[in-house]
Amino acid sequence: MTPPMLHIENLAIHRGTYRILLPSLSLARGEVAAITGASGCGKSTLLEMIGLILRPERLDRYELGDEADAATPDAAPLDIAALLREDRQARLADLRAQRLGFVPQSGGLLPFLDVRRNIALPRRMLGLPASGERVEEAIEQLGLQPLLHKKPAQLSIGERQRASFVRAIAHEPDLLLADEPTAALDPLQARRLFELIVETTQRLRIATLLVSHDWGLLRACAIRRLVGVPDAENNGGTVFRDAP
Amino acid sequence: MRPEARPGWGLLAGLATRDLWHDRKVSLCIVASLVAVIAPLLLLFGLKHGVVSQLRGELLDDPRNLEIRLLGNHDLDRAWFARLAAQPGVGFVMPLTRSLNAQADLALDSQRFVAGAEVIPSGPGDPLLGARLAPPQGDSVLLSASAARKLEVSGGERIRLLVLRKLDGNSERGQREVTVAGVLPETAFPRPALLVSLDLLVAMEDFRDGFAVPALGFASGRPALPRERYARARVYAGSLDAVAPLAGWLEGERIETSTRLREIESVKAVDRVLGLIFAVIAWTAAIGCIASLAGAFLANIDRKRKDLALLRLLGFRRAAVGVYVMVQAALLTCLAFGLGYAAYLAGSTVFNRVLGANLAADAFVCRLENLHILLAFASALLIASLVAALGGYRAIHIQPAESLRDL
Repeated sequence: MTPPMLHIENLAIHRGTYRILLPSLSLARGEVAAITGASGCGKSTLLEMIGLILRPERLDRYELGDEADAATPDAAPLDIAALLREDRQARLADLRAQRLGFVPQSGGLLPFLDVRRNIALPRRMLGLPASGERVEEAIEQLGLQPLLHKKPAQLSIGERQRASFVRAIAHEPDLLLADEPTAALDPLQARRLFELIVETTQRLRIATLLVSHDWGLLRACAIRRLVGVPDAENNGGTVFRDAP
Repeated sequence: MRPEARPGWGLLAGLATRDLWHDRKVSLCIVASLVAVIAPLLLLFGLKHGVVSQLRGELLDDPRNLEIRLLGNHDLDRAWFARLAAQPGVGFVMPLTRSLNAQADLALDSQRFVAGAEVIPSGPGDPLLGARLAPPQGDSVLLSASAARKLEVSGGERIRLLVLRKLDGNSERGQREVTVAGVLPETAFPRPALLVSLDLLVAMEDFRDGFAVPALGFASGRPALPRERYARARVYAGSLDAVAPLAGWLEGERIETSTRLREIESVKAVDRVLGLIFAVIAWTAAIGCIASLAGAFLANIDRKRKDLALLRLLGFRRAAVGVYVMVQAALLTCLAFGLGYAAYLAGSTVFNRVLGANLAADAFVCRLENLHILLAFASALLIASLVAALGGYRAIHIQPAESLRDL
């Protein structure tokens, strides 16, 4: 069995007296998982922690990448838990740029760059050529070609969401994080974006974690679910566990 | 292969520029508010500098304004001259004989002569010479403009220098042919005068004192001793500001002086008054400008919170976001200064054309040196950077999570 791409153990975040717990999470390459649960149970908070922008109160293990590529066959997975514990902001920012891709709720495109430049930004941040084969493919598949020279303000919400998705995978990250990417889309668009996320995740062999409360859609796309349920042991809190 | 590179500064500066251009209406407002402060201040300082340098230039054109005239005859030895020359601010020092002996008659022929012309010893650095004339030496002398007019001579001609003395009841007339090497400008010295080397003046005094002076045609009698002491001195300050301290030093030596300090003081007073007016206006404008800049920058950062948070989310470091804000401030300031400078150039041209019409050709009313422009630019950049640093401090505390949620 291949080692997991993402492996987290015993993660805890406090929001006042409210505790958000994640006992264990492993994602393999090409796997998609969805964080679900009632509104306000801490789905986005959990995603933000996994996205290295929140510091957890407790974290036993956070490893990213199996590193079993041809160049470094013996390399160990990166121990991110230590970086988070030591609050090494600069190094965490570098990791976000190098290994993570985000699809924020409302697209999160920079308003002063056109779609082409927004998509190219993560690649240019890493000194890669502005365009790659994968990027062109995704642009083609999502029908973004006619929109490339438009500014985000000229796009519909669905178009923004699609552009944001292409930007999130442009630099071929290890982990794709999406916070309710379909919240503003109609059911048909939402379904198409989900299918594309699943398909791209498998093709690029990355791991994807998304926040969604659209159970029907998740079931239809056969996406693994991580459900937030009230914490029985602690008063006030959520535990995220794999759905049965 | 996974790249390990970090975002470069060039990319950041490019993003900052595109952001400003995208937001050009707001950018323009900030630039306009800066230009509205920079251009008038440049013009005001240009006027102050122009007027004061014009007045100082007029003072400096007349060497008498730098002169400290010693009144009466004294007994000044070499050591005293050495001490005087060592004073700070001394421009030119030349020993001078007793006043009655520093006169001579000049003649070209029986029709054209000047009786009782002042004989002035000169040497290298004499302010009377200006930049053009070489100092007199040996037989070559210089004439003041009025003396040259009376004698109707110009450079290159020879004239006779006549000195009278009474010795043992006989009138004797010493004389010597000298060459007119040049003529002083009209403004340098108003009365008929002859500029000679110190040796020639001393020879004239020796002659009047009854010694043998072969240079004036009297070889018989006692030869004069080498000169150690002088009765007076010609003293010039190196700058207008040095006149008063030098006069003060001479007073301390119990030598009465006369200067044109009043004229110098009046120009300095104008300088002080204009300087005060400029300083008050500049400070008022600068404080207003800082307040408006701070407001504009901080409001801008609040407006762009989400974009800045997104940059952090995408992996720009905290410092990079601070730099992003500073780069924008610097770019806006550079543009504003360029426009402000252009406005200054236009305004100063108007001043110089209209107000300078009755001045000499090379005169100016409004003018700034390159150093002033550079200093003004540096201060504008410094103020903008400081204000932007405030905003930058706020910007680096923006959390990347702010971009993920619709707050």
